[in-house]
Parts: sequence; structure tokens; C-alpha cells
Amino acid sequence: MKPHALTRRILAQLVLLVALITSPGLLAQSDDSEPEYSRKGADSCFACHDDQATLAVFRSKHAIRQDSRTPFGHGQLQCEACHGPGGEHAGRVRRGQERAPITAFSSGSTLPVMEQNQFCTACHQDDLGFGWHGGAHDMEEVACSDCHSSHAATDPVLVSSMQAQVCFDCHQQQRTQAMKPFAHPVREGKMDCGSCHSAHGGSSDTRLTQQATNDTCFGCHAEQRGPYLWEHAPVSENCGDCHDPHGSNHPGMLSLRAPMLCQSCHSQSGHPSIAQDASGLPDATPSPLLLGQSCLNCHSQVHGSNHPSGSKLMR
Amino acid sequence: MKQAGQIALLVLALPASALAEVDVSEWLCESCPFEDGYQSNVEAGTTYVSDEDIRYGNATGYDKDGMYLNVDGDGVYSRDGYRQSWRVEDLGLDSRVVTVEGARQGRYGYWLEYNEIPSRVFGTTETVFDYNSGTLLLPPAWVPAGTTDGFAALEDSLKTRTIESDWGFARVGGRWIASDAFEVYANYSRQTRDGIDIKSGSSYTQAALLPRRIDYATDQADVGVRFRIGSGTLTLAYYGSYFDNRNAALTWQTPFTAPPGATELTAAEEPDNNFQQLSLSGAFQTDFWQSVLAFSVAMGRGEQNENFLDYTSNPNIPGAALPRPSLQGEVDTSNYAVTFTARPLDRVRVKLAYRYDDRDNSTAVDEWSRVITDVFPSGELQENVPYSFTRSRFSAEADVKVLDELRVSAGYDRNELDRDYQEVAEQTEDIGWGQVRWRPASWFELRGRGGVSRRDINRYDEDVAVSLGQNPLMRKYNLAYRYREFGELTAMVSAPTKPLSFGVTVFSADDSYSESKLGLTSSDEMRYTVDLSWKVSDAISVYLMHGGESVEAEQAGSAMFSAPDWNAVHDDEFHHWGAGLHWSPAEGKFDLRLDYSNGEGDTAIRVDSNGVASALPKLTSSLDSLRAEMAWHFSERLDLTFDVRYESFMTDDWAIADVAADTLPTILTLGASPYDYDIWAVGVGFRYYIGERDLQLAD
Repeated sequence: MKPHALTRRILAQLVLLVALITSPGLLAQSDDSEPEYSRKGADSCFACHDDQATLAVFRSKHAIRQDSRTPFGHGQLQCEACHGPGGEHAGRVRRGQERAPITAFSSGSTLPVMEQNQFCTACHQDDLGFGWHGGAHDMEEVACSDCHSSHAATDPVLVSSMQAQVCFDCHQQQRTQAMKPFAHPVREGKMDCGSCHSAHGGSSDTRLTQQATNDTCFGCHAEQRGPYLWEHAPVSENCGDCHDPHGSNHPGMLSLRAPMLCQSCHSQSGHPSIAQDASGLPDATPSPLLLGQSCLNCHSQVHGSNHPSGSKLMR
Repeated sequence: MKQAGQIALLVLALPASALAEVDVSEWLCESCPFEDGYQSNVEAGTTYVSDEDIRYGNATGYDKDGMYLNVDGDGVYSRDGYRQSWRVEDLGLDSRVVTVEGARQGRYGYWLEYNEIPSRVFGTTETVFDYNSGTLLLPPAWVPAGTTDGFAALEDSLKTRTIESDWGFARVGGRWIASDAFEVYANYSRQTRDGIDIKSGSSYTQAALLPRRIDYATDQADVGVRFRIGSGTLTLAYYGSYFDNRNAALTWQTPFTAPPGATELTAAEEPDNNFQQLSLSGAFQTDFWQSVLAFSVAMGRGEQNENFLDYTSNPNIPGAALPRPSLQGEVDTSNYAVTFTARPLDRVRVKLAYRYDDRDNSTAVDEWSRVITDVFPSGELQENVPYSFTRSRFSAEADVKVLDELRVSAGYDRNELDRDYQEVAEQTEDIGWGQVRWRPASWFELRGRGGVSRRDINRYDEDVAVSLGQNPLMRKYNLAYRYREFGELTAMVSAPTKPLSFGVTVFSADDSYSESKLGLTSSDEMRYTVDLSWKVSDAISVYLMHGGESVEAEQAGSAMFSAPDWNAVHDDEFHHWGAGLHWSPAEGKFDLRLDYSNGEGDTAIRVDSNGVASALPKLTSSLDSLRAEMAWHFSERLDLTFDVRYESFMTDDWAIADVAADTLPTILTLGASPYDYDIWAVGVGFRYYIGERDLQLAD
């Protein structure tokens, strides 16, 4: 596109935007062409859409007649509560004429994500929580339907053993990490992403379920919470200083192999930080600083000690 | 597209009252297959596991060879708006999951859940210790020695002791919806973990790796009320977590020659503790610029008051009086967050956010007189250090839709971190980033993101470092100056109308700790993923995925407690392949799934000490996993199921390879071996459907 054409296009867009913003009656002016609802509601839809994937909505929480809040509740708009007025879509089509579209929820939908999501949040506003707004999923315009299957009897993202596969569709680097030899049991389906992350909320950088990284870890590892008499400073601050919670090549999901990990911070007088190399292997001079549990062979209380003589994290 | 957008705009613009004006009197939903009654499927079967390896049972429960009986299933009962569902997974295994949910939608709901996760670490470990009445005891015939080669009774005393534990989670909760504007919810959960893990017990210059008994229980409660006020919601919540360790102390007999009185040693176990937090959060939307103001305020307190053990269990060392009988530890936490998002123009979205986190450890400071490894008093007094920190983060972000197909975003973050008692008291980090998303067609998107961050410190207080016995040249990596560059490129091809979707992502980050003479000096990371899925036909779909990660880190050390005299380079690599097929003929008699995945990891560590280069053997891991599942639709209600799994897992780890119990002269280890198994698991069973399997439109 030529520069002046681009400029013209941007200007035209700006003019259109200003018109939209400053014309509150714009929507009202379009009443004449307001799409119509279908004549018979869901009965019209099921004349064509009678496949099991569509009908599965009747095994979901969205089709409870007695719950007037659901699309199929008394007086509600049934399929058109979410898919919008379908009068034209359901109407007769002349030969060669393309059937009028209806609101679709998928990655290929032509409807902007924000507008797709508003169909859902019209009822599910409370489910978003305070942390959705401004979070990565919100700012990147992730559609509700990217994760949720609203027709399914069981929404996979709400089942622990299935959830990670839904998240991994986008978070593919984390899928690779989950395959590492030392990782939380996500690959086996015994732990889900939601154990730590709140896809809808959480105000921390990575949308954690608790207020801080450590608080989230303590949800399952409360034994490390302390406070201890003798604290290990980075442990009190951020478990992620030493651990890679998505998986690691090293036992304990450590970010580096001990003793080098410890030597990244510790070079003490009286306890020299000696280079540990192949000379410390079993076939040479086995080194207690390298083999077994390395530094933890002695400093076993690396997360903190509550022993009065435990200042060196050995008791 | 325009029409769809118009429809959406109109629906969203219509108030609820307008929706109610739509004439639905003829919307009888006569063909709607509303479900009243019970519908479920139950799968029962047996699985034969070819070999025994405890590691294969990690998180799966298949830790022995032989036959396993198993049951899975789910079901739903619906009647007059009441709905109850249940779900069972792996009922016959140690990885079982049972959930029950019930609700009268719009009025109340409840849920119960129980699940177990088996943690299986080592089956190759051997120990000389027996557990009795809270103490790890040596065999009666044990002969102590100064080094492991003198343990005359070692070989006859070693017994296999697997390192394994079981996690159990039980949860019960409910929700009562009093009105559209008010809701109450409550959850209570109990988490248990019992079994054996590895903990070292040290004497003066020796140590033994101990098979420690663990018996933890954590009770958690989460209770809240939610209000809906106009276009906003408010949630007031309480969270409480109470940890109980049934073992207050770890006591063991040292296998090494010990001074009188120091033959039975004691270490403290993790203390009982609790944490309680009260929070208020909310989000309010306004029509002005479609803005949303969201906030969260949380105040918490953690407490720990476990009774202290004595300075030493050695009766020959006169015991000094403890400053106090228990820690009386208190940590107060404050977490505040506020986020404002708005759309001042239709194509412009902005975000401003601020977050404040404070950990205030108000535990009293006292002087403690340490006894070194139960052998001799240190003769000096040492103060405990209650670490506290305050962290704040401000971020601003704007997203502009320059063209229909082009979006540009940029942001700036400022982090500030203040600490007590550490080498760095004040730390800041500035992060700037930008992103471009180009979507020339609905089926193609290209996204580039990149930025830089700089972490600065007011100063690295070498006086503090020296007081901690540290080399003053050491710069701890979480406290050090750091400059980071990062970038990510993503391309996606995807459209539901096309049978093929493809995605590729490349991420790179380079960290430079250029002011660190000792410690971590650099870390470069590269990650990539490739993902391809192809719907070959209505019946067949296939996928292929690949991912990789590479981290190169460099560090410097000083054996002479002066200038750097050695450095190490770590090359961490991991690669993953996955491929699969799903074949389900529309009117066919079967449903077949094949999934294969492979993960290969290796870590190379090169050490250069005083000009002499040495490389440690590569740490490697290799996982191959294949699963084939087929359901044969035998009749309307019955499927026959077949399941074949193969898994191979091997590691090569110099830290434990060829390290027998007595390989290290001063450490009695458990002699764990690297992982190495090839296992087949073959299952047959049936799935029976109760109620209507397929939904049929009502007549």
C-alpha cells in the first residue's frame, strides 16, 4: 500500500471512529435494519443443526428449563441468546444466494473477540473476578470459546485431567516443559494448570491463584511456609529463585544442578567454593560436595530450620 | 462479517428489558431434548503391567507388575432443575479421583472431591535404618567407623526402602445464591501427605542420608460473599491454611564413630504453622471509555509457634537456656492491586496497573548459642534474621489497532523491591516492551514481541556480605544488576474452514550480569515450538508437535576466597516430539486414538579451574511414551475397550550413578540408581451406557 493511501485510510478510520463515538443515536438509527429473531426459536435451529455436538448443550448447564438465567430457561432466547437473532439466517435462501451468517464462537469467527466475549459475560460477569481485567488473556483478546466448550456436557477445561491439554493449545512452551523428567504431574493429568494459575483472575504477574508466588506454592507445600527461626533469604522471597515449577532436567525442579546452583550465591570464608568437576566422580576421588545430594548432604534444611542450633541449616 | 458484527452490537446494546420484549410465545422448544432422569457411562476393565518399576507408578499408580482392576465413569441425574453429577477416574489405582457435584441451578450448589496422587521417587534405595517409635535405629550388630569403608556390618544390614509418599486431597464446598446480587460460597479442604522422603542427617564431618517418615496434614478454608452492585462485583473473602506436622523432630543414630553422648542426633522437622488472610476485591465497569476499574486488597498473617528442641540432644553438653521456648513467629502480609483499563478510542485500549506486596516478618530477634552438630558449642552468640521485603510494580500498556489487520502494543513496567538484612536494600527494574500483531487474513497471524529490562541496585553492601562470611565479590543472582533482552516471534495459520492449522513460536532471552565478578554472570535462553494439526477427513485427524528449549548459563567462583579462579558453563537442552491420530468413522464401529511423545533432555557442564578444563559427563534423560486406545461399539449400550501403553524412561545422572551406600567416605547414601525402565501396560474392558447414549430431537 502506498504511503498516501495508508494515510488516507488511517484518516478515514479516525473520522469513522470519531463519528461512532460522538453519535450516541447511531445504533438507534439502524433500527430499520435491525436483524430479526427466528420465528420459532430453537425449533427453527434444530431443523438443520441436529448433530450430537450441538444437541449436547442439553446435557450442559446451559439448558436447564427451570433456571431462568440459562438460555433455555423460561422466556429466554434459547440458541439466539448466545448466537444472536437468527431470523435472516434461518430464512429462505434463493438458489445461489449465500445464507446469512450468524454469530459463531471459534478461532475463525469474524466477530471481534471482545464482542464474542460479551455474549458470555452478560451472564458470567461474576466469574471473571477482578483479575481478568487487564490480564494477559484480556489484553490479548482471548475468546471465552478459545478455552470453554459451552455445548459440551463436560467442559474439558473444567476437568483436572483434561484441562492442561486445553491450555497447551496456546501455551506450547509450557507443554514442552511439562514433558521434562522432573515436573509436576501435569503430563499424567493429576494436576492442572489451574492448581497454580487463575485463568480468569489473579493480579500477580503470571495470574497465580494466590496473591504471591510463595503463597501459591504453599497451597500444597505448606510445610515450607514457616516462618522459621533460621530463614534462607531467597526462600522467603520467591520459590522461583531456585525452582522451575514448569519442569526441569534436574531433580527437585531446580533451575541449575547442585552444587553449582548453591555456588551461584555462596562463596563463604572457611567453606571454600571449590570447583566441582569430573575429578569428584566415583571413579576418581568421590566428592561429597558433588555426589548424592551435594550441598544438601549436610545442609539438609535448605528451606529453613526451626532448630536453635540450625543457623547453618544443618539441624 | 459486517452483518454478524451488527447483530452482536445490537444484541449487546439492547438492555435486558428490550430482550424480554422479543415475542417468544411461539418458541415452544418442542424438539428440544431436555434431559430428565439419569444418564451415565461406566468403564470397567483390567490392565496388565509387564514389569515392576516404582517410578512408572509416579502419579499413575502402576508401581508394580501384574494385573490391576480399574473403574472410570461419569453420570448426570437431572430432574426439575436439580442436577447432580459424578465422575470417577482410576478408582482401582492409587491415583483415584472421585468428584460429586449437585445444584439447583440459580439457587444453590455443592461439591465433594477426593483425589490421590502417588509420588514414587526411588525403588532402588537401600538403608541400614529401621524406624521405631520416632527414631531411625541402626541394627544391633552395627559397627561404627570414621568412614564408610569401615562399616563392617554394612552389606549385611542394607534393606530395600522405597522412597515414596501418597498425597490425598479431600474437598467439600457449597454455594448459595440468595439473589442476583448476593452469593455466599465456602470451601473446606484437607490435604494429607504420608510416606518416606530423603533427608540428610549430619554429624560433625559426616552425614547419612535418612529415609525420613513424613506425615503432613493441611486444612484449608476459603469462605466468601459476593455482591453485585450495578455494573460491578465485590467479593469479601477469608482464606485460612493450617499445617500440622505429626513429627516434630527427626531423630537418628549416627552410623559413624561419635563422641560420647553424640550417638543419637536430632534435627527439627518442619514446624506447624498457619496463615490467614482477609481480602476484598472487585471490578466496576462504566460506559465512559468502556473502562473497568478492578482492585484487590488483602491482609494476611502467618504464625508459627512450634516448641523448640534443645540446643543439642547430647547430654554431655551443658544446655544453655533458650531465649524463649518457641519462635512466636509472625509474618504480616499486605497485598494491594489496582488495575484500570479503558478504550478511549474504538481502536485504542490502555491499561494502568499498580501492585504492592509486603512481607513483614515481625518475629523477635534474639541471641542463640549454637551447638555445632551436637558435638561442641560454637561459643558465640548469633542473632536470628527475620527477612522482610516490600515489592511494588507499576505498569502501563497501550494497544492500538492501527489497521484492521495490524495491532501495535507497547508497555512499560517499573518494579521496586526493598529488603531488610540483605546485601541489597533497594532494587529497581525497568522493563520496556513492544508487540506487533499482523493478521492480514482471518486464518493467518504473525506476532512479534520484544523488549529490554534493566535491574539496578542502589549498592551491593559488601559489609553485609562479609558479615555473612561471603566473598565480597559475590553477587547473588537475585540481587545483582541484570540487563535482559528478550524477543518472541509467533506465526499461526488456522481456520476452521480449512483442514490444516500450523503454528510456530520462537522465544529468546539473554541475561547479562555484567557487574558480577562471582556468581552467575550470564544466562541465555532459547525456546521454540512447532505445532501442526490436520483434519484429514471428517473421520480422521492427526497432529504433530515439536518443542525445544536451550539454556546456557555461565558462573564464576573462587576457591581461594579472592578473585575468580574457576568458571562453569551449563548447557541445558530439552526437546519434545509428539504425534497422534484420532480415527472415528461417522457411522463406524470404533473410535481409535494413537498418541506418541518423546522427551530428550541433556545437560552438559564444563568447568575451567585455574586454566584446567574439565567436563562432567552429560546428564541425560529420555522418555518415550506410546498409547493406543480403541473403543469398539459393540451395541447401542456397550463398547469394548482396548488400551495399550508403552513407556520407556532412562536417565543418566552422575550424582547418583555408581554411588553405592559406601562410595563416599563421609556420607552414607541410600545408593539410589538412575531411572531405567521399559514397561508395557495392556488393558481390556467395557464401557456401558445407562440412559440415552445419543440425544434425539423430541418428536
